[in-house]
Amino acid sequence: MNKADPGPEAPALRSRGLSYTYPGEGGRPNVALDGVTLDVRTGERLGILGPNGGGKSTLLKLTLGLLKPTSGTVEVCGLSPERARRRGLVGYVPQRAEAGFDFPLSVRQVVEQGVSRGRSGWRRLDRSARTKIDAALELAGMSALGERPIGSLSGGQRQRVMIARAVAGEPRVLLLDEPTVGVDVEGQQRFGALLERLSARGLTVVVVTHDLRTVAAGCDRVACLRQTLHAHVDPQGLTPEVLAEVFAHDVEPAFGRVHVEAHRAEDCPGPHVHAHASDHGPACAPDDDAGGGSRAHD
Amino acid sequence: MRTIEYLTDPVLRGYYWPGVGVGLAIAVMASPLSVLVVLRRLAFIGQGISHAAFGGVGLALVLGAVGVGVLASEPGRTGLIVAFCVAAALTISWLGERGRAARPDTAIGIVLVAAMAMGFILHRAAVQASQARGLPQPPGLEDVLFGAVLGVGAGDAATAWGAALLVLALLVTMRRDLVFWAFEPAAAEAFGVASARVRNVVMVLLSVTIVVGMQLAGVVLATALLVLPGAIALRLSARLWPVLAWSLASGLVGVAGGLVLSFELDQQPGPMIVLTLVGLFAIASIGGRWMGRRESVAA
Repeated sequence: MNKADPGPEAPALRSRGLSYTYPGEGGRPNVALDGVTLDVRTGERLGILGPNGGGKSTLLKLTLGLLKPTSGTVEVCGLSPERARRRGLVGYVPQRAEAGFDFPLSVRQVVEQGVSRGRSGWRRLDRSARTKIDAALELAGMSALGERPIGSLSGGQRQRVMIARAVAGEPRVLLLDEPTVGVDVEGQQRFGALLERLSARGLTVVVVTHDLRTVAAGCDRVACLRQTLHAHVDPQGLTPEVLAEVFAHDVEPAFGRVHVEAHRAEDCPGPHVHAHASDHGPACAPDDDAGGGSRAHD
Repeated sequence: MRTIEYLTDPVLRGYYWPGVGVGLAIAVMASPLSVLVVLRRLAFIGQGISHAAFGGVGLALVLGAVGVGVLASEPGRTGLIVAFCVAAALTISWLGERGRAARPDTAIGIVLVAAMAMGFILHRAAVQASQARGLPQPPGLEDVLFGAVLGVGAGDAATAWGAALLVLALLVTMRRDLVFWAFEPAAAEAFGVASARVRNVVMVLLSVTIVVGMQLAGVVLATALLVLPGAIALRLSARLWPVLAWSLASGLVGVAGGLVLSFELDQQPGPMIVLTLVGLFAIASIGGRWMGRRESVAA
């Protein structure tokens, strides 16, 4: 299902040689991204798969304009990230761990955040903003729960509220950071269906995750990222070799069509542990972790 | 009832009403802010700022005593103390940033004790300088530390209400950005909220509220007003507007109740107000659990 290269029109997201280095502690710079070149077509659902610390969040921050690239460029709909963000072209769903779910806010009040930036608190939101909020709640299937306190929802429901907030401003590109952490299987399926509905409306979706399930459920193309792009395939193209390379050999996912049967001993330069796919997706262990074998079972 | 006597007697009421006015103004400004403090976990930074105010008081008193004209007047002193608090708050934020000298709680601990130590030394220096120059004595340590709201005049009450209305107006104007920032700072920034600016505004609001609140409860207890009403309200509701209403109600009841108790029992108002608020918190904790059970049954 590898589609042809995009046409000449400005892609939803385009990066060229995008690199970012954090000024690490003790004068040891920490290369987070190295020469990432990527095109995402309008309406595409791209999954960016990689281990923790692989530069996924950095890529999102650069795309949002919250960080400036060390070198290279990134454009959203042909604009600089800051301008695209200021024009409301980019919607963002952050990692869920960061939000304060003990807040006394209703679902609707959270979705409101997506359209209320910089608006004076002296007036009610105008009709067009309220219509957008209704539409986003509807799209996410949360209309009936609009008045519920955000803290009373399940993980999957909260996730859909966050997506509703991100699309309420009617962006052209939607960025999601680890959207399915703590979401159950049914929630993941609904999440995949929601992404499909969004892309059917012409929204471009970029999901970064370390969870193969998320990619398999919701994306039509996958880029594998560990500092740099290692592969660029459709979900069925995630061969054991590709995954082993991206996850530094520490992966043993077994589900759906993505099924790692074995990886070869000679491909493993260092010691590693065998990780079993869990609810949180394939685990990754750093190279210096204990473990000696290099054969994956089953 | 001494309270009625104090507030109605033609001679006494001129002495007691300004203090009541200041107290209620502080309740009005601190209560909604306290919701933000509790939710954003700013209680400890509030504590740091209020103790820093003690250093500001010392500095203002010394400069006043050695003849810096502006600081001989109350507005000048207040301005300097607010500026000192804002500087302390920004120092805490700066020190506590990732990769700098200290973790945030350590940064607060350091700034807090530094300002307190400086406050004690400067206060003594101000006493000595005032004696040497034959000036009236500065307020005593106890008044600064625990508040002396019954010594205030009508002008102080007017200033407190002016500050309260200013704080409320800023809170309303910025409420959408403030709530988003408090809920999820990183996401707010990605959605275009200038989170550094919001944070600085919050620090200024905290500083102003603490400096006005010091008159009521002193530097040691001022943060009570910035924590307890919000903590009480969040026990009673999980919805934004009811939480704000509960915080305002508990702030007003706490201040008024504390003042009445202090009149009746002939005690210091500051500590009485704090204990009243703590009592309300205990009641709300029990009542909130009961209400929560009822709500979950209804749902």
